[in-house]
Amino acid sequence: MRDFDFLEPASAAEASRMLLDEPEESRLIAGGTALMLGMRQRMLSPRRLISLGRLEALRGIDFDAKEGLRIGALTRHAELAADPAVQTHYPMLASMAARVANPQVRNQGTLGGNLCYADPATDPPGCLMALDAQVVIQGPDGERRLTIEAFLVDYYTTALEPGELITEIRLPPPAEGDRGHYARHLRTAAEHRPLVNLAAWVRQRGHGCEAARLVVGASTVVPTRVPQAEAYLMAHPPSEATVDATAELIASGITPLSDARGSAAYRREMVRVIARRSLAHLFALPLE
Amino acid sequence: MSEHRIEVIINGEPVTARVPARRLLSDFLRDDLGLTGTKRGCETGICGACSVMVDGRLVKSCLSLAVQADGQPIDTIEGLADGETLHPIQECFINGGGLQCGYCTPGFVMATCALLAANPRPTTDEIRQALNGNLCRCTGYTQIVESIHHAAEKLHGN
Repeated sequence: MRDFDFLEPASAAEASRMLLDEPEESRLIAGGTALMLGMRQRMLSPRRLISLGRLEALRGIDFDAKEGLRIGALTRHAELAADPAVQTHYPMLASMAARVANPQVRNQGTLGGNLCYADPATDPPGCLMALDAQVVIQGPDGERRLTIEAFLVDYYTTALEPGELITEIRLPPPAEGDRGHYARHLRTAAEHRPLVNLAAWVRQRGHGCEAARLVVGASTVVPTRVPQAEAYLMAHPPSEATVDATAELIASGITPLSDARGSAAYRREMVRVIARRSLAHLFALPLE
Repeated sequence: MSEHRIEVIINGEPVTARVPARRLLSDFLRDDLGLTGTKRGCETGICGACSVMVDGRLVKSCLSLAVQADGQPIDTIEGLADGETLHPIQECFINGGGLQCGYCTPGFVMATCALLAANPRPTTDEIRQALNGNLCRCTGYTQIVESIHHAAEKLHGN
């Protein structure tokens, strides 16, 4: 690991100014679990690390029935998984957070750091996209909000401009009939990074779905919603046939990655399999 | 390269030190303080041999900077035994054969401390989940899991 300076701003505004001083040479560090790996392998060699560790304003989780959920960007995955309000009102999110990486990384890695690193082979972004989350961004010109769709741009690339950082993640309040299910596929039980994941969220009304957000992650460069599958699911009453057809539409609606971890064909098939199981689970349907 | 004065509490003892920004927590413990019970294994965040507790949270010290731990208590494998008397978890690993070469063992014992503090009587499945961040290339894990069951019984009864 190359030498660097370690700076500890006292506010998000100061962190933003420090980032702007030398934008090419600076990186933010939150938990640091991913950043340390990148720096130790010399894929990244920033000369300045700007630590968010002292920014208490970026911590904490608050729920309000009208406003929804606010998750401070420095919230660790383990804290998200254990939070009673998250478990009660967004069980899909708690269940996802309980499975990220491994226990040690969940105790140190943060949700904001995970989103800013924008590694495709991870869990939180797709789940947050299915829950219609927004990131709150602080920059030199004030604050702005982006959806996860707008925030994640490409491999390890976000929409953050120089001097910007995420301060919190916001989720809309849950409504009657909201249900979600997060599923992931690992090549072996010992792996820590998902090969494929699917976040399925629906708002049920009577026998049908009034809204649906179906997001494939880890097998696409950035998490991908599949609108044609969502439309099909909303147009058909839940049944085994609907589940099968929706799973097919999800699998055929993405452009899977193909690399040493899995071919495009294998990933597409795994997407279909976990989509079918997830949707059946969501509608409490028995599967063959 | 910046240098930092850090104050930490290692196994209950206050320690003040000067560290360069790039000093990893694992290197700080081993090379600066001589606490070599914490092992460097894969050095890529996979194996968990470097696991320690920072402010009560189990973390991988090869993925942490020493400066990040400033102001916090750190517990390592050296803090478990009471003089010559081993901690019940250590005893159970020895008696249950929960190790072979022993290199990964400090990490497993620290992971077990974290697990049993949060969940005094874990199921086998919960034990296996809690060990997901630790690798052992010798034992095949069966006797590690059994040792942890014994430790839970010993510490927290039936």
